[in-house]
Amino acid sequence: MNGQELQKGKPLTLRMTFWAASVAVLISPLIALGQPQAAPAAAAAFKQYCVTCHNEKAKTAGLALDLTQLTQIGPHAEVWEKVVRKLRSGSMPPPGSRRPDPAAYETMAAFLEAELDRAAAAQANAGQLPLLRRLTRTEYQNAIRDLLGLDALPKEMDYSMLLPADSATSGFDNIADLLFVSPTTMERYLEAARKIARLAVGDTTAPVMVNIHQMSDEQSQDARVEELPVGTRGGLAIQSYFPVDGEYEVDIDLSGRSNERLQLEVTVDNFRVATVRTDALKPVRVAVKAGPRTVGVTFLQRNEALTEATLLPRMRSQGSQVAINRVTLRGPFSISGSGDTPSRRQIFVCRPSSTAEESACARQILSQLVRRAYRRSITGSDLEDLIPFYAAGRQEGSFELGIQRAVERLLVSPQFLFRIEREPAGTSPNRAFRITDIEFASRLSFFIWSSIPDDELLEAAAKGTLKDPAVLEKQVRRMLADRRSESLITNFASQWLFLADVALKEPDPLLFRHFDDSLRHSMVRETELFLNSVLRSDNSVLRLLDADYTFLNERLAEHYGIPNVRGSDFRRVTLPPGSPRGGLLGHGSILTLTSYPTRTSPVLRGKYVLENLLAAPPPPPPANVPALNTSGEKRGESLTLRDAMVQHRANPACSGCHSAMDPIGFAMENFDAVGRWRDRDAGKAIDSSGVLPGGFAFDGVSGLKKVLLSQPDLFAGAFTEKLMMYALGRNVQYYDMPAVRKIVRDSQKQGFTFASLVLNIVKSAPFQMRQSHS
Amino acid sequence: MFITKKALSRRTFLQGAGATLALPFLDAMVPALRAQSSMPTPRLGFLYIPNGVIQKMWTPAATGSGFALSPTLAALEPVKSHINVLTGLDHWEAESKGDGTGDHPRASAVWLTGVHAYNRTKPGVPVRLAKTVDQFAADAIGKDTRISSLELTLEVPSQGGCDSGDCFYSDTISWLNETTPNMTEPHPRLVFERLFGDGGSSAQLLARARRAGSILDSVMAESSRLASNLGSGDKAKLTEYLDSVREVERRVQNAEKRGLQTIETPERPTDIPESFVEHAHVMFDLAALAFRADITRVFTMVIGRELTGRAYPHIGVRDGHHNISHHRGDGDTIAKVAKIDAHHVELLSYFLQKLHSMKEEGGTLLDNSLLLYGGGMGDGNLHGHTNLPCLMAGKLGGRFKTGYHGVYPSRTPMANLHLTILDKVGVRLDKLGDSNGRLLPDPLSIG
Repeated sequence: MNGQELQKGKPLTLRMTFWAASVAVLISPLIALGQPQAAPAAAAAFKQYCVTCHNEKAKTAGLALDLTQLTQIGPHAEVWEKVVRKLRSGSMPPPGSRRPDPAAYETMAAFLEAELDRAAAAQANAGQLPLLRRLTRTEYQNAIRDLLGLDALPKEMDYSMLLPADSATSGFDNIADLLFVSPTTMERYLEAARKIARLAVGDTTAPVMVNIHQMSDEQSQDARVEELPVGTRGGLAIQSYFPVDGEYEVDIDLSGRSNERLQLEVTVDNFRVATVRTDALKPVRVAVKAGPRTVGVTFLQRNEALTEATLLPRMRSQGSQVAINRVTLRGPFSISGSGDTPSRRQIFVCRPSSTAEESACARQILSQLVRRAYRRSITGSDLEDLIPFYAAGRQEGSFELGIQRAVERLLVSPQFLFRIEREPAGTSPNRAFRITDIEFASRLSFFIWSSIPDDELLEAAAKGTLKDPAVLEKQVRRMLADRRSESLITNFASQWLFLADVALKEPDPLLFRHFDDSLRHSMVRETELFLNSVLRSDNSVLRLLDADYTFLNERLAEHYGIPNVRGSDFRRVTLPPGSPRGGLLGHGSILTLTSYPTRTSPVLRGKYVLENLLAAPPPPPPANVPALNTSGEKRGESLTLRDAMVQHRANPACSGCHSAMDPIGFAMENFDAVGRWRDRDAGKAIDSSGVLPGGFAFDGVSGLKKVLLSQPDLFAGAFTEKLMMYALGRNVQYYDMPAVRKIVRDSQKQGFTFASLVLNIVKSAPFQMRQSHS
Repeated sequence: MFITKKALSRRTFLQGAGATLALPFLDAMVPALRAQSSMPTPRLGFLYIPNGVIQKMWTPAATGSGFALSPTLAALEPVKSHINVLTGLDHWEAESKGDGTGDHPRASAVWLTGVHAYNRTKPGVPVRLAKTVDQFAADAIGKDTRISSLELTLEVPSQGGCDSGDCFYSDTISWLNETTPNMTEPHPRLVFERLFGDGGSSAQLLARARRAGSILDSVMAESSRLASNLGSGDKAKLTEYLDSVREVERRVQNAEKRGLQTIETPERPTDIPESFVEHAHVMFDLAALAFRADITRVFTMVIGRELTGRAYPHIGVRDGHHNISHHRGDGDTIAKVAKIDAHHVELLSYFLQKLHSMKEEGGTLLDNSLLLYGGGMGDGNLHGHTNLPCLMAGKLGGRFKTGYHGVYPSRTPMANLHLTILDKVGVRLDKLGDSNGRLLPDPLSIG
């Protein structure tokens, strides 16, 4: 050992050259602390396999491991959690270096985990969060739905029109730090509040809205639309909202010409309200009652078979066929009243029968709205903010206008727009402390429902019983069973898998002629339905990786080469034995979103699996990535993708990550850039074999699935991390890993069901606590 | 100013570049500020292109004045005398510095700041960048307009398409302050409604503005009460909210002060056009109109987000942009990337010609504007942040000369150019990001 260094108090580092001395220094304190037998073995293994490169002198990848830290790991958890991750994913030591055998891997990782967990138990870091976090656009939308009973909105007022999109990180849009507020956002909140209040209360002075519903060029109009009556084909089912009882104009625009005279049918909630002949089109006026309605515009199905060309999507049909291009809903005209809508029933809990009763009734209405909107018991000053607006509206018009104005004001309150968790005065700095029950209720509801708590949850919180494990479990199970928990699929799972990005993909129309919007939507729908079926079942979440069924309609089944699925409706299909389609890795959605427009990308696919399914994201490429050495390549002699990648990996700067990404991606090469199965590419047989850095050899996607399933903790851990990130609204950091491991351990006993993961997350310290500021 | 609209047919509005637009309202609505000043009203636009460019196709061969356009810049021929090309500017703060948010998000983050974007996903690293050039300018020249700055994009948000996971570094190029990025808007209809409102009579508009004013007052009072019982901890979000409330209040008051104007507008756009070119044209049309009607004087536009995988089948490039930007020296791939580069320049040319067709006091709108076009990535293949694509258009009301290709010594920070631009709109900063002085040599500045 270098005595001088020690005297100067420099960190004690171990080097191979001082092997004997190091072992003595290292092992004795561990034994002295009464560590399990594994300790010396683990320490020796770290020395043998890690410190050769990660020492103070070499500092490979900027990392020098100081093994003396192993005796007191707490303050150095950040480094050692990284080591755990590298060991568990088998990505270190790098390929080509001497690697521990599986037993030694396990010893090293288990030792570190035990030490890290022990350190965290003594002094947990619950993670810092801002005191306020703005509702995401989705949360705002759901909150309005639950607060005011407003579900579908007219297209004019679609939330993507009302509010700006939130910025995503790792797919998630609910990360507290990134929910920014700018003047532009504020302007939009004011506008949204005005429009929503008017709609919810049923303002009979509502202006005419023009809602244009454009049919996508690529939308096939061959079959019945799921939401429309039997006996119709094609067309649109428009979920809209009619602000008041009155007349509305339905204006249909067709594209294509035909000598055929076809009948179009207009329906409202599946009742026919008008028929129009395609050769005599004009806007039709129909009376519609206020509230959410489904408007259908569709061709009446005739008995004789339609020509083949008619059945093809419009863009791809030969010759011009009549198709619906656009439907415009205009109105209201001749308003006959506010009507009886779910919103009005929810808002007007009382009706003043005289002017004298108005004030008390207004207070009653606003009190119940405030409680739900602010997610807490009402306090003295709450109503005082709203009453002046009620009074002004009352004076200007009516009792109802008063309520409308107060609702408008309520919806821009910071206590509605932000989730607030206080840090009580006198909290000592940088300590984990429990949030209040009422704050906890919001954490639960925004996690499971992406929305505000309901009355039952708020009442449990007010009683102070919510953190009682039995009460908590009962509430969580109730919430999971509630329809509102759909957001865990549509919001959490879709974001985790980047499903929205399927819409941004532009597969080369010349190479993938059969790809169109209808196929695109079908792909996404398959994944949503599959996620829903697994996550709502008592099955393990590992089922997401491999299942013997999926959900298909004719279009997608055809794409997959699966026979005997007819029609546009989705249904559960048991896959033939040996089908590669079982599990997410065989889904067209994921295969498409991890491809380039003209070809597959093993790198993107490998990166996606590592990042999203294994939570082991490769670091970004080093600065100034050296270009592939192309000088040796003769023009015209094109390398296969695999050969080019082999060349790329030969560069040590690239091999570290690519040796993990590429084999995974190549295992999926039998799926083309839109997820079709293929045995050959560019005339050559696909080679889908590979070896992972951990030494696992496998072939094809089925082999890859076996490897993944053989280490259930890896996927379950990754899934937990993603769900935690979403649940907490912040990035999962090294200090959360002890909690993640506990959740995985506890959930394993419950078969890794989704419900068990959700339950164990809400019981975890990071979910029930926060870290005070330093 | 409240605006009531008369619809002008979209066809008239979108008539090709260079056509004279029928905008008779404009002479009648000379804003107060313009009348007071001897200089024409300055306007600034910042337009971002992603993934670098093929530099040898971008850079004109000759330097100085009267240079011949390069192949990539060829579409600018009709406005050639109105542009400057600046070669050799660098953004070293976009380098990794051992951190690694990824070169792409750093490139867009650094462009108008000269500041390194740290990887926020690491523990203890907060969101922190810097106020951008456009926002400094907006403070100086935009405060009297109804919308002090407008942030536009031609991209819809992606969930997974961002290095290191954080998308906010590449979704926008505009930051209000060091912690708040300005979110960008891709939807032409929303931009239209922000510019021109969504209808109503003048009396209704006035009543609505008054109500907004009283709502904002009330919300301020509620917020101060809230702030006092939050306890200790990070209240940055409440500050963001309060600042926003104050700013919106100011805008509402501004609107009231300026009274009512009736202007002719194009028909309200409906959806985001499926065609990229049409989308770009509509957004540029709206930006031009916002300049023309003096609704805003500063805007940013993300033509493409860093790392974008957009394909351009309409010009025969069916591959994803980012993918082929790593062309590995392959000639065919380089040609495709250059095609995309040239295509973006065509869109710029459309916009410049549109501005040039709009006459106003002191010349044309182009004469009175300055558009900065470029990106924070030079060589996309190697992720280089040196020799950045950089083009200026317009004379900013006689504050700049044009028609010049300047080549700058190596290691000249692009932030030096930003300081020079800000000087011209009366913002005197000693430093911006990694700047080390004004742009030198500076053959462009006048006065």
